[in-house]
Amino acid sequence: MLKRLGRLGLAALALATTPLLADDGASQARERWHQAIEQRYGVLADASERLEASAARFCEQPDATHRQRLTRNWLDAYQAWQAVRFVDFGPIEQQSRAWQFQFWPDRKNLVGRKMQAWLAADQPPSAEQIAGDSVASQGFPALEYLLFDDSMQGAGALASPVACGLLRAITTHLADGTNALQRDWQRFGGHYRDTASYTASTLHGALLALETLEDKRLGAPMGLTGGAANGYLAEAWRSGRSVRLIEGTLHGLEDTFLPGLKTLLARHDEAALADAFRETLDRARRRAAGMSPGVAPALDDDTPFGELQGLHVQIGQLRYRLEEIGGVLGLVRGFNASDGD
Amino acid sequence: MHRRDVLKTGLAGLGALGLPGLAWGLPGRKQANWLFSAVDDADGHHYIQAISPGEERAFRIPVSERCHGGCLRPGGPQAVLFARRPGRSLHVVDGQARAETARIEAGADHHFYGHGVFDPSGRYLYVTANRIEDAAGLVRVYDAEQGYAHRHDLPLNGIGPHELRLMPDGRTLAIGLGGIRTHPDYGRAKLNLDDMAPALVLMDRQSGEISARHTPSHHQLSCRHLDVGADGTVIAGYQYQGPEWERRPLIARLSPQGDFSEISLPGPLTDELRQYTASIAIGRDMPRALITAPRGHRVLLLDSRDGRLLASHHLPDAAGARCDGRGGFLVSSGGGGLYRVGGDGSAPQRLGAWDVRWDNHLT
Repeated sequence: MLKRLGRLGLAALALATTPLLADDGASQARERWHQAIEQRYGVLADASERLEASAARFCEQPDATHRQRLTRNWLDAYQAWQAVRFVDFGPIEQQSRAWQFQFWPDRKNLVGRKMQAWLAADQPPSAEQIAGDSVASQGFPALEYLLFDDSMQGAGALASPVACGLLRAITTHLADGTNALQRDWQRFGGHYRDTASYTASTLHGALLALETLEDKRLGAPMGLTGGAANGYLAEAWRSGRSVRLIEGTLHGLEDTFLPGLKTLLARHDEAALADAFRETLDRARRRAAGMSPGVAPALDDDTPFGELQGLHVQIGQLRYRLEEIGGVLGLVRGFNASDGD
Repeated sequence: MHRRDVLKTGLAGLGALGLPGLAWGLPGRKQANWLFSAVDDADGHHYIQAISPGEERAFRIPVSERCHGGCLRPGGPQAVLFARRPGRSLHVVDGQARAETARIEAGADHHFYGHGVFDPSGRYLYVTANRIEDAAGLVRVYDAEQGYAHRHDLPLNGIGPHELRLMPDGRTLAIGLGGIRTHPDYGRAKLNLDDMAPALVLMDRQSGEISARHTPSHHQLSCRHLDVGADGTVIAGYQYQGPEWERRPLIARLSPQGDFSEISLPGPLTDELRQYTASIAIGRDMPRALITAPRGHRVLLLDSRDGRLLASHHLPDAAGARCDGRGGFLVSSGGGGLYRVGGDGSAPQRLGAWDVRWDNHLT
């Protein structure tokens, strides 16, 4: 039942466009963002396939070399996910994919409980069974448990048929999911490029990513958001790779988000704002790259804790820069738009 | 803890507005001249905010969880506001005492979805809830005359009930069944997007009998918010959980005769709404329905008699909406503004701004 627009409606619709962000020129920025995100989703899919293959090789020949390679491939893929985690719209919302890739925060240790339950079974699950199970069983944190939990460090623990089958099922599910995400992103392209409001969505996603980084991924475990310092609130606390993941996010913002932002700001003669954001981002990323890998181990030691504080301050500056850009471009911070019900 | 905290900002300007049409008491609701809403302050603290701009009064009550919708209790100064999914508290607020007078907890086995409604006498309160163990959607019944004691549950044979309203017969509840399975341990993650079964449900509030279950045209069209007109028209808003690049209807209409239909908006407008509607308000004094779409930063005005689109306005982070009793609607924005949108299709007028983020709904 298609409804016709009344005369009244047409008059009102004509008044109803937003200024800067709805400008046609923003479609160039979206074009750049679409390409960059597509490329990065491709990196994620490739890294997830390498992880799947690496899990298969380890299970065939469970020696120290293959385990090291498996761990490295896990971190590569996990970082590739961090690089595009700021994209919180489009195909990533299908089937709760972001939750599937990374169930976090996990205050009740559901990941640990799920993995213990699967490890206690007689038979390992298939990838289809993992697909039908809880998001706590499906992503990088579940793999982290298998690779890093204390209970998995004994000789042969991960190489046992049940553990290996579980490892392979999860990596296969992850490779399937990241490949589907890349395909769906390509199909989404026309809609993304043609719909003006995605300019604001993309900016908003990056801003939200920086807020989450400052407040939840760093501030909360460091005890800077009201509670006591608590390493278990950090992502990837089992592996002590929290800072490596933050580095992945900053790297992704630099090569995935920044190019479109530059295009957008150049059109509004605000290239200086893009430069200031780029410089701050570059400093924060280089600092993170030079730091020790974990948040939790740094909490009880003054020197690394000082490094974390420095990074936290830089992320705050970066967030301020992007808020400033949002203000200039007329970005509306959607309280209900970003988290309604 | 019944702390009160008078809001200092934003009031001075409102007294001077004196705009025609700014009437805060609805017909038949003379005592309830407070407007209630969940809000967050700039630091992210949660409150229940009450304002009565005609009289330049305001108060707010700090709450531990973000709240969502609310309802007025007929025949008195009370309102009840509900914790947002997966919250577990409902807050009874007394507009005369300007305080929270009771807080009812859902208990360990249930959580609320953020909406409720009273029966016409103001005695029984009907609240949408989740029985966590098996994700059964329920309407929980509380007795306000017995200190909001829990009486019984009305099962919905479905998952994720959200907003509910009473039909003009005073017996039938119209309930938006979202169809999305969530679990408190998993925060706000959606756990069943592949096999959702949303519906617009009509239920007898006394017997619990379900007299109609209208199914959206796609299983991922989550039916969330709704309002009921004086003639029995129901307008319901969907949130589509499928691909953003697909175009699906986002508004449904149930006629007073019980005919269910979906309203297709022009394609580009559908795209701008980003698959998401928030509040629905039907005029008490005119055949108009207003729909807020915060992701698209829009409000839509429809003719509630046939679903015809009359106007679409840009309104940043449009959130709560209700009829103003004078031929228009009040609309809140997450940006802090409160607007009046005329039922004649005229553009939103800002009535005032507060240093708060107005949440999804106005009561």
